[in-house]
Amino acid sequence: MWKLTIKNLKARKLRLAMTALAVVLGVGFVAGTFVLTDTMNSAFDNLFSDVNDGLDVIVRAESEFESQLGGSRQPIPESLIETVRQVDGVQAAAGNIQGYAQFVTKDGEAVTTGGAPTLGGAWYDEPKGSLVIRDGKAPVGPDQVMVDAATADAHDFKVGDRITVITQVAPRTFEVSGIAGFGEVDSLGGATLATFDLPTSQEVFNKPGVVDSIDVAAESGVSVDELRTRIRRVLPDGVEAADAQAVAAEIADTIKEALGFFNIALLVFAGISLFVGAFLIFNTFSITVAQRTREFALLRALGASGRQVTGAVFLEAIVIGIIASAVGIAAGFGIALVLQVLLGAFGIDLPSDGLVFLPRTGIVAAALGIVVTLVSAIAPARRAAKISPMAAMRETAPKPPRFSPRRTIAGLVVTLIGVGVLFGGLFGDFGEPAQLVGAGAFITFMGVAVLTPLFAGPLANLVGLPMQVMRMPGKLARRNAARNPKRTAATAAALMIGLALVALVTIMGSSIKASTNKVLDESLEADFTVATGGFAPSFISPQVAVDIAALPEVSVVAPLRLGQFRREDKNSFFVVGTNPATLDEVTDLDVVEGSLRSLGDNELLLYRQTADDLGIGLGDTFGMQFASTGTEKLKVVGLFENKSLVQTDYVISLSTYEANFPEKVDFQVFVKVKDGVSTAVARKSIEAVMESYPSLNLENQAETKEKQADQVNQLLSLVTAMLGLALVIALFGITNTLALSVFERTRELGLLRAVGMSRRQTRRMVRWEAVIISIIGAVLGLGIGVFFGWALVKSLESEGISELTIPYLQLLGYVGAAGLAGVVAALFPARRAAKLNVLEAISTE
Amino acid sequence: MSLISNRPGAPASSAQDLLSRAAVVAVDLVKIYGEGEAAVRALDGVSLVVPKGTFTAIMGPSGSGKSTLLQCLAALDDLTSGKVFIGGAEISSLEEKDRTRLRRDKVGFIFQAFNLIPTLDAMENITLPMNLARTSPDKKWLDYLIQTVGLKDRLHHLPGELSGGQQQRVAAARALASRPEIVFADEPTGNLDSRRGQELLQFLRRTVDEFNQTIVMVTHDPFAASHADRVIFLADGRVVEEMVDPKADQILDLIKTLES
Repeated sequence: MWKLTIKNLKARKLRLAMTALAVVLGVGFVAGTFVLTDTMNSAFDNLFSDVNDGLDVIVRAESEFESQLGGSRQPIPESLIETVRQVDGVQAAAGNIQGYAQFVTKDGEAVTTGGAPTLGGAWYDEPKGSLVIRDGKAPVGPDQVMVDAATADAHDFKVGDRITVITQVAPRTFEVSGIAGFGEVDSLGGATLATFDLPTSQEVFNKPGVVDSIDVAAESGVSVDELRTRIRRVLPDGVEAADAQAVAAEIADTIKEALGFFNIALLVFAGISLFVGAFLIFNTFSITVAQRTREFALLRALGASGRQVTGAVFLEAIVIGIIASAVGIAAGFGIALVLQVLLGAFGIDLPSDGLVFLPRTGIVAAALGIVVTLVSAIAPARRAAKISPMAAMRETAPKPPRFSPRRTIAGLVVTLIGVGVLFGGLFGDFGEPAQLVGAGAFITFMGVAVLTPLFAGPLANLVGLPMQVMRMPGKLARRNAARNPKRTAATAAALMIGLALVALVTIMGSSIKASTNKVLDESLEADFTVATGGFAPSFISPQVAVDIAALPEVSVVAPLRLGQFRREDKNSFFVVGTNPATLDEVTDLDVVEGSLRSLGDNELLLYRQTADDLGIGLGDTFGMQFASTGTEKLKVVGLFENKSLVQTDYVISLSTYEANFPEKVDFQVFVKVKDGVSTAVARKSIEAVMESYPSLNLENQAETKEKQADQVNQLLSLVTAMLGLALVIALFGITNTLALSVFERTRELGLLRAVGMSRRQTRRMVRWEAVIISIIGAVLGLGIGVFFGWALVKSLESEGISELTIPYLQLLGYVGAAGLAGVVAALFPARRAAKLNVLEAISTE
Repeated sequence: MSLISNRPGAPASSAQDLLSRAAVVAVDLVKIYGEGEAAVRALDGVSLVVPKGTFTAIMGPSGSGKSTLLQCLAALDDLTSGKVFIGGAEISSLEEKDRTRLRRDKVGFIFQAFNLIPTLDAMENITLPMNLARTSPDKKWLDYLIQTVGLKDRLHHLPGELSGGQQQRVAAARALASRPEIVFADEPTGNLDSRRGQELLQFLRRTVDEFNQTIVMVTHDPFAASHADRVIFLADGRVVEEMVDPKADQILDLIKTLES
């Protein structure tokens, strides 16, 4: 059987290449995702393993947990520096401060990063850390700043230049005293870094008399652990002496954890591609088994057992799986690079120093590729075993298998189970909702795929109806698409999955846009919003709100601050700190019990749904664990129903916020203009105040809507681009099926050509068949996508997505695009069909 | 060997005259497969004239080149050298596009098997060439054809639902539907039992007698060949004998003498 397998494989190179291609693409995406994320992780590891080089101990306030927003720790008194210096075994100790600092280019634009932070810190000569001066001198005095080498390079900052730096306090101009790098590296993962001397840092980060940490180097011969013990003795309660290297690893872990979601998202897309690829593999094996009926029958007639025939097909699958997986893993490197570029195009810059290939990548990707190939081959292999030896004697190819009622029932049951699991995940309250939803969608797709042959025939006839206009080629295309519903169905199913997901995200996107627009229309009474531009995290200096509030044209200014806390169940959530009185004037949170205005110290305004879920109500206490201050019991004084503006379930007063979070920056400021003052006039004044903050934008409601729509659109395009590979694989499926059909219909094509069908008409016939299959896939996919979209939006109603919007026109456009894609997919098979040698074709057995 | 048919009618006075009165003229056809030592001369200087309104059978042992001859005459295959004229026009030098048009408009085909497109019903198969040409069929002629082949009640059946004999009759009707210059038939009765075969041959004969149709048929069956006006015998790529108004037993005798 082995010899036969190899011979068979060699004899059908083209078909094999097409089958293998599906595996290669799917495996490539999986491998590429692994390579990309491993590369990213290793780059962060490298960056942060060096970041504390030269340091041994870091003295800092204790923290309950590491907040993703930073500011997990309270600052410590500056006086502790001297105390630590006196400890025996300390070679040097210096205070450090970190905070938000953003450079402004010479053109007056704020320097942005692709998602990396814009940092500021304090410079010290001793101990010698990883930051090294490359050019110029250390910053001294309130007028000097040192710039990281990457930023200096990118924006042409030279020693002696005067540049503006935006900080928590206010933008200020400084003289560039020097340019520094981290050893050989120019920047930390794309982050920008401005360093000042300690007094200036304390001033610009608004931390008078305190530091965030004390960086300590040990005298030679003193071990880190020994030194930590000694330092600990002189520290007050709540301050710790941490191992500097452990802190570096901690930072790297925090960043990697934040990126974990991203890794999972990429793997989900890879999984989708592989799933779609499985359809292609299954279809190819099915078709080739059907085409080789006579060959298998002959084998049976010559004495091969059914099991041997199955074995032969399986063996082919294994060989294809292994070879294609190997190629796929190699292709993974290329795909990793493409993904990197793609993400970069969407503003997500990932650090990288050389692609990283872990053994795990190879093992998982190869195992997936081989298993998917084998699973896809099960049904065709079993069908091959059922071929009777008598089939060898029959003249014509057997009719396509009839559709059995058993299959209908099985398909319905599977679909219902899938929808059930999906709904369980969306609306139910058990286990991991995301995983349930994923599994439900997967099972639903399987069920629908089982059912698709039932309506593929009628659908093909329906879709093909307008193509009758194309006369004979159109008519034949329509009949060809309908003649083997199983084949058409399996081919269309691959496209169906891709388009269902695209339709789903489209509906999600438009619903989110519609919902936020509605919220802005109905509950935002502010005239303007001050917001930071772009995806990069950046902050608003509290001074902005103060300055705007001082304008005579302005009546209300309501700044919002954002922090992270942990509930008693250890889950992290965001909390908004605000001035209740002013927020109440510019928004309508739809407070149903209690009131926003009465929100005082150590009190909490809670989203109604969440309060219900937690089983607490007005007057109850709620435990919030803050990273820097520990657990506080807050009293619930109000319940609200509209969280779209604050985007969290938890609202506290500004004073409660300041008591528990060390940061003093706003993330959004709402502004209301005085009655009788035109918004245009007010805008001028406000913009004059904001002129020195190029990182900030002033938006009216229309602009806010536009910006949010832009952000949603950008995310949508990214997701669609990631789904692109699944769509490409689905199109390959169409190409493959048609190429195989053309091969199978060689005689028929020969006859058509003999009786006068021109090459152009032949091409047209194949092309129209592809279009019909594509449109079937698109229509089914959009049907499922709309259903999924409806379910998802409904389940997110409590999360503020209240408007279900289905952009019919856009979805209709997808059908058209699918048809066009079908034309492209048919290019190769159509050419092949047209190029057939008439004489050879009609004399083919 | 005479170049011109012995059928009644005025002898050709000029080449032009000959071309216009003949459905097919073949001049010194040579077809060589392969190269060098392995070269096979499938056709080795065949010349013949098929006058309009005649039924010609081509016979010969397997390997004699009879199928190659038919394919070359029908513009399905390229010649190594020589010329073929159909309806007075040279076709051996045509481009693929024009050959397709020629096959569609001027030529009808009946193959031994697999004559019909399985997704089209009988009627659609019959009108297929005209449909491809976007011309409308001659309604009266079509009705007559359907009447004669006896398919009136099977017109909307798919080929899979028709018997072998019915399929071949549909194929014959398709070949004749556009009233082509010439119909080429390659063993049209090869897959039929003798009664069905007889019916098909009688039908072909009638189209020649009543409608002046020209037919060239390759066959190895002397009984089938006996329906023709003349039989051309091929051996080793050459015309070796010709018989006019043949009877089946005469043909059989001639084959025996040729083989001995």
